[in-house]
Amino acid sequence: MRKPASAIAVHGILGLYTALALFPILLVIMNSFKARNAIFGQPLSLPTPSTFSLIGYNKVFGDSSVVSYYVNSITVTGGTIFLTLLFGAMAAWALTEYKFRWNTLLALYLSIGIMVPIRLGSVSIIQLIVEMNLINTLTALILVYTAQNLPLSIFILSEFVAQIPKDLREAARCDGLSEYSIFFFIVLPLIRPAMATVAVFTMIPVWNDLWFPLLLAPTGGKQTITLGIQQFLGQYITDWNAVLSALSTAIIPVLILYVIFSRQLIRGLTSGAVK
Amino acid sequence: MSEVRIAKLFKSYGNVEILKDINLTVEDGAFVVLVGPSGCGKSTLLRCIAGLEPITSGTMTIGGKQVNDLPPAKREIAMVFQSYALYPHMDVYGNMAFGLKFAKVPKADIDRRVNEAARILQLEPLLKRRPRELSGGQRQRVAIGRAIVRKPQVFLFDEPLSNLDAALRINTRVEIAKLHKMLKATITYVTHDQVEAMTLADKIVVMNKGRIEQTGKPLDLYYRPVNLFVAGFIGSPAMNFLVAAAKKRDTLDLGDGHELAVKLPAACKVGDKVTLGCRPEHMTFGGSGKLKLTGTVDIIERLGESGFAYVRLPSGQTIIAEVRGDPKHGNGDKVDVALDAAQLHFFNSDGMRIE
Amino acid sequence: MASGTETGIVGMSRGTYLRLLAFFLAPAALIYTIFSIYPLIATIFNSLYLRQPDGSYLFSGLSNFYTLLTDTTWSVPFWNAFRNNCYFFLIHMLVQNPIGLALAAMLSLPRLRLRATYRTLIFMPTMLSVVIIGFIWQLILSPLWGIAKMFLQTFSLGFLFAPWLGQESSALLTISLISVWQFVGIPMILIYTALLAIPEELIDAATVDGLNQFQAFVWVKLPLILPTIGLVSILTFVNNFNAFDLIYAMKGALAGPNFSADIMGTLFYRTFFGNQLQLGDPSMGSTVATMMFIIILIGVMTYLFVIQRRMQRYSF
Repeated sequence: MRKPASAIAVHGILGLYTALALFPILLVIMNSFKARNAIFGQPLSLPTPSTFSLIGYNKVFGDSSVVSYYVNSITVTGGTIFLTLLFGAMAAWALTEYKFRWNTLLALYLSIGIMVPIRLGSVSIIQLIVEMNLINTLTALILVYTAQNLPLSIFILSEFVAQIPKDLREAARCDGLSEYSIFFFIVLPLIRPAMATVAVFTMIPVWNDLWFPLLLAPTGGKQTITLGIQQFLGQYITDWNAVLSALSTAIIPVLILYVIFSRQLIRGLTSGAVK
Repeated sequence: MSEVRIAKLFKSYGNVEILKDINLTVEDGAFVVLVGPSGCGKSTLLRCIAGLEPITSGTMTIGGKQVNDLPPAKREIAMVFQSYALYPHMDVYGNMAFGLKFAKVPKADIDRRVNEAARILQLEPLLKRRPRELSGGQRQRVAIGRAIVRKPQVFLFDEPLSNLDAALRINTRVEIAKLHKMLKATITYVTHDQVEAMTLADKIVVMNKGRIEQTGKPLDLYYRPVNLFVAGFIGSPAMNFLVAAAKKRDTLDLGDGHELAVKLPAACKVGDKVTLGCRPEHMTFGGSGKLKLTGTVDIIERLGESGFAYVRLPSGQTIIAEVRGDPKHGNGDKVDVALDAAQLHFFNSDGMRIE
Repeated sequence: MASGTETGIVGMSRGTYLRLLAFFLAPAALIYTIFSIYPLIATIFNSLYLRQPDGSYLFSGLSNFYTLLTDTTWSVPFWNAFRNNCYFFLIHMLVQNPIGLALAAMLSLPRLRLRATYRTLIFMPTMLSVVIIGFIWQLILSPLWGIAKMFLQTFSLGFLFAPWLGQESSALLTISLISVWQFVGIPMILIYTALLAIPEELIDAATVDGLNQFQAFVWVKLPLILPTIGLVSILTFVNNFNAFDLIYAMKGALAGPNFSADIMGTLFYRTFFGNQLQLGDPSMGSTVATMMFIIILIGVMTYLFVIQRRMQRYSF
């Protein structure tokens, strides 16, 4: 960046693209705080005291189920992250540390799911969930999402487990730890940064998914926020205040989380997918 | 009595034999150093003693108790790893106390032992630090401290100095020697550095290709190496070897015009092929006498008070001779190198020492 | 024979070792097998059965596939969805990945200020649910609100405005571009990190050799990140042939107008669940899913055995 002219050009292009990326999001959030007239009259201006209105939000939160959709989403995402991390780390540890005949084959088997989307088995997943009497439950979603996220999480965590120096595990053996204790007291604490990455990584697609909630828990108050908003939008399609507020309600928490975790997420994308 | 006895130990991975017929005793209170080139099996042997590697056959006892099937923690050993292997998520105190906690040692006892080790190793101000906040030398001391608090029968060191810089290495070497005296500990120590081996050991075990080549006191190995491998491995720069034939009972023919008047060992017959060994420090550059070799100077490395000359013999072989002071010779000069008749080694065609 | 020679852990018997392995591996292996692998295999099996009028199923070999590919009731929508999906993929390859590459190249310039800010903000849309993104763009492009029209008018291009999402000729392209807009962050980040991994000295060496910044990028950096571009391509392929949410959210299961935005994912959903026009059919649904599986498998295999093999990976 020696020449200021080219620096300005680069900043110009990046700035323009950033604006393009942000504009639609900001537009929706901005207009969600305006009265209906202002939404159509001055869509590009910020809300002013005269145009400010929360009527849309009243409608969204007046529909009491929105809060429970949030709780559903948090439960599903949290449960999935917990199981994915725990079982993923356990499998990653065993595959990396222990020698046994089917080791490579099992690792290969577990990695099929990285490339083949689990959605393709949806027909049978529904049949299975119906047979297990889990339809319209959050448990069904947690189990399916865990199965979906395990392969990549095992893959990423294995890389990190392998980086724990061999000497350290052996020092632990000399210190009298059982194999189980080595995992819980040495390995888990040491791969915490990697687990944070996998957590963020798992969280986003699960939180945003529409497919499985639509298939497995479409009614009965077990909708996730993504599905709930989708249904809400379909219902209030002509009420612009409600639509914009519903969209903003779905966007804002994700954006806040993103700003907090963006560092981990980007580190995760780079460590997991590139290798 | 905390001695280690190993008898007829074999260790293989699949079809590859890593250790072959190892017989070794580490006496109570002894400092035994396993030394050899990389890949010779010395670290594997240490790990077998630690219980980190299962052995294929043979027996091993520590303090009179057979330990073949005991996991590391039950062998009453403590190991200091090359990379120190400190738990990064615990402070210095936590690292030293960790094993004791798992051994269910009472808290007060742990506290006492850790503090005592910290005092011995001057780690007291560092107890609350994490490993990453320590220098290499400090980490090394924590690793040793972690071993001390366990009051093991045997200390195992796996190349503990190889991650330290040169100056610190010498310091720490001295510290380890002092510690050995103070604790009267039984120590088995692996290194590839023969200076460490010579300075620390009561007994050196030279290993090569999975076998023990020679076991003995440091100076025994230096003065009476049993074979060519040990002769070449111990000492720096390495011993010079000259292939010769026994022409008469008191004459060796080097085949390049040199004939040396030496008294051959009794076991050597006229006509035998003999390898003559002589260390650079037992050769005098520019010296005179009956026993001398003549060649041209390739290069002289001057280290100050002394140095080494690389002298090419008529056969094309280069020998290294010690240089004292500041010789006037330059590269390409013809010089005489005198050998010390009392410091010659003879090896037969199998590479074994003959006396 | 000392114990532990089989297990590699001194003093551990075979039984204890197996229990140890089971403890660590069984939970992941079971959940994954039951909810991921079993359904995949069962779906493939389902596709081999024919639904009888009385609701029972009869083994029928590959006849479902034959029907799907030749019977016009099925083959017309199938080939339409397949063609559309290829187009969808093509747009991503031609628009999303080059833009991602260009952004990554700019972001990785040395001494660029605000680097992290640009990176974070450009990646932001990728984080949001496709449902939300679809709806936002529906609003922006809606003639009712007129934001898009207003924009074009600012540049006196108002005459260009059309209800793009509603027209058969432009619906798929519009949706594809919206998807590109949302996901451009992924190729950007992946390529960006691959670029960062290239040592600065290589570029210095190229500069000494007389190359300018742009030439150094084309001749030094680009060849070194080809493996990453290959990876980005296969990720794009798998995601595109598995896509559903965006089109469902914007156009519903019918992917209208007149199926012009129908892709494999929406076809699968419609076939399986049924819609206003037809009844759901699990067998045919499974057949469509199996076709998607085969398509994705061909893509992944091509990548693994042809593309990736030819590419040299360098470590620095």
